[in-house]
Parts: sequence; structure tokens; C-alpha cells
Amino acid sequence: MTEKEQKQIFDDWLGLHKALIFKIVRVYAFNSMDKDDLFQEIIIQVWHSVPAFRKESSVTTWLYRVSLNTAIKWTKKERKHNRPEPLEGTRHILQEGSIQTDERLIWLYEEIYKLDEIDRSITLLLLDGFSYKEMASILGITESNIGVKINRIKKLLIAKSKNHDHGI
Amino acid sequence: MTMEFEQLQKIWDAQNDQPLYTINEKAMYNIILSKKKQARHITNTSELLLIFVNLASVIFTVIVNYFKQGNIFLYLLSAWMFGSALFTLFSRIKRKKGEDQFDRSMHGDLNHAISVATYQVYISRIMRWNIIPIAVLCLLGLWDGGKPVWIVVTVLIFFSLVFYGGGWEHNIYKRKKRELEILKGKLENEA
Repeated sequence: MTEKEQKQIFDDWLGLHKALIFKIVRVYAFNSMDKDDLFQEIIIQVWHSVPAFRKESSVTTWLYRVSLNTAIKWTKKERKHNRPEPLEGTRHILQEGSIQTDERLIWLYEEIYKLDEIDRSITLLLLDGFSYKEMASILGITESNIGVKINRIKKLLIAKSKNHDHGI
Repeated sequence: MTMEFEQLQKIWDAQNDQPLYTINEKAMYNIILSKKKQARHITNTSELLLIFVNLASVIFTVIVNYFKQGNIFLYLLSAWMFGSALFTLFSRIKRKKGEDQFDRSMHGDLNHAISVATYQVYISRIMRWNIIPIAVLCLLGLWDGGKPVWIVVTVLIFFSLVFYGGGWEHNIYKRKKRELEILKGKLENEA
């Protein structure tokens, strides 16, 4: 694959599936600096992954696999050195979009963020409509394990929604 | 109020029409610039260090060789290291002159950042392979000087480690350059 072809595919992927990466960044990184850092890390890994894509799965599945694995590794690495919250007025690569005003969605993201790394991945994949089989393939966990975790996550989220006033 | 999972799913699905974030080009540009600054600083320090270390080694080798042994291989080694110092110096001058070709626009800055990273990759590769002739001449010098085998083996292991370390360093620079290119591509794509 030439570099030009790689760049073309990379641009196409990011153009079409940027939202997917944003969601992952949102549930794995807390402050703005972390979000920028993780976003950069993911797009770099996505670039490197282009030649390895064999069309055995859909682009979305592939991007989820690369991005989630990057995010999980990044979280483990970052846990070792806590970065301070950046100063006010610092410009960041990622700026909040209008969707952030939906209070229920903010709540949902916050709850997902509180889960451990693997459960966050499973929740994202579940909400984005992936089957157990696809989830198992992306995360390298057995389908039965996925099933157990999903039941637990669903119960937890439903229970937590009790304690939250959603304005609905 | 308790929500069923289907309701959570609806809230989640509602976001798909709207972007969660927008990319701030200016911030991305600043990150590239800070990476460029870092690369320039490392390059600058590496060049000065290479020149200094090579020249210091030349002086040391010539003095020791002159008073103690008169070993031809060590004179050749001195000449080679002097050549390495000169090569680094000329490369540095050429690099500094080349900096004028980049204008102060965003595009110019981005290209400059890539150019610094490319230079860093280039000089680290040259210096890594340069270890081989230095090691060969040094080992021949030791052999010619009748040094014990264990000294020759120790020096050989030392140069092997330096060569290995040089490869590791070179790969770091290659990765940093690639990261810059990806970020630059992303920024140009967004603009």
C-alpha cells in the first residue's frame, strides 16, 4: 500500500467515523488535556492500522477494535501518572459540541466513565448495537463473559438512574 | 425516576446526529509547533554533543597514541572521528540555512516541523552506522597494540550495545516524525 493510498483511506475513515472516536475519548478521558492526548493517540494508531485492515470485518468494527484497545492501554498508562487539570483558557484540540447540553446524555457518559475499562468498552459497543459475537471478537473476551457483564452493566445503569433526576 | 435500558438506548441514539466535539485547528497547530520546538531542541543538543564528543575523542586518541604506541589504526580512528565531527558541523550549518526557506505561515511552520523531524531521523541513522567503522578501527587498534582478548571482547560488547541503542533511538525519532506527519495531515484535512 502506498502512503497516498494509506492517507486516502485514513481521511475517509476519519471523515465518516469521527463520531465513534469522539465517543471513546469521552468515556475514557476525563479532563480536556487527557481528551486531547487520547484523541491524538487514537488517530495515530488508526493511521498505523490502515495497512493491516484486511476487510474481514466492517470498518466500524475495525475502528472500534483499534480505538478501544488504544484507549484501554492509554488508561492503564495514565493511571500511573496523574496529570493536573489544565489552566483555564488553554486551547484544546477537542471542543465540546452542542450535544453536551443534553443533561441525560451527560449523565449517561458520566456513569459509563465510572465503570472499569473493559465494562466501558462493552457498554459503548452495546449502545452502538454490536452483537455479543462482535464484542467478543473486538475485546478478546468470551461471549458468555460478555453476556454476564452486560447483564450486570444494564442492572447497574438502571439502578443508578433511580437516584438521578433526569428532568423527564 | 427509574429508566429502562431502552430509554437509555434512545438517549444514546439521539446523539448520533450531532457531533460530540469539534476539532480546534489552532490548538492542533500549537501542539505541532510544540513538538517542533522539542525536536529542534533535541537536534540542537545532539549535534553539539556529537561535535564535542568526536573532537574530544580525537584529541585524546592522538595524544595517547603519540606518546605511547604510534598505532596506525588509532590514527585512522582519530581521522575518522574528526571527519564525523566535521560532517555533523556541516550538516548543522546546512540545516540552519535551510530554516530560512520556511515562511511564518501555518503551512510553513508545519513543513518546518516535518523537516526538523526528518533531519533528526537522518542524522540518527548516519550516526548509528558510523559506529561500525569506529568500532572496527578501535578493535584493530587494540589488536595491533597487543591488548588481551578480554579487553577486545569488552569493547566489542560495548560497541554492540551502542549500535543497538542507536537503533532504538532512531526508531523513536522515526515514530515522532510519523506522529507529526499524521497530525499535520489531520490538520490539513480539517482546514
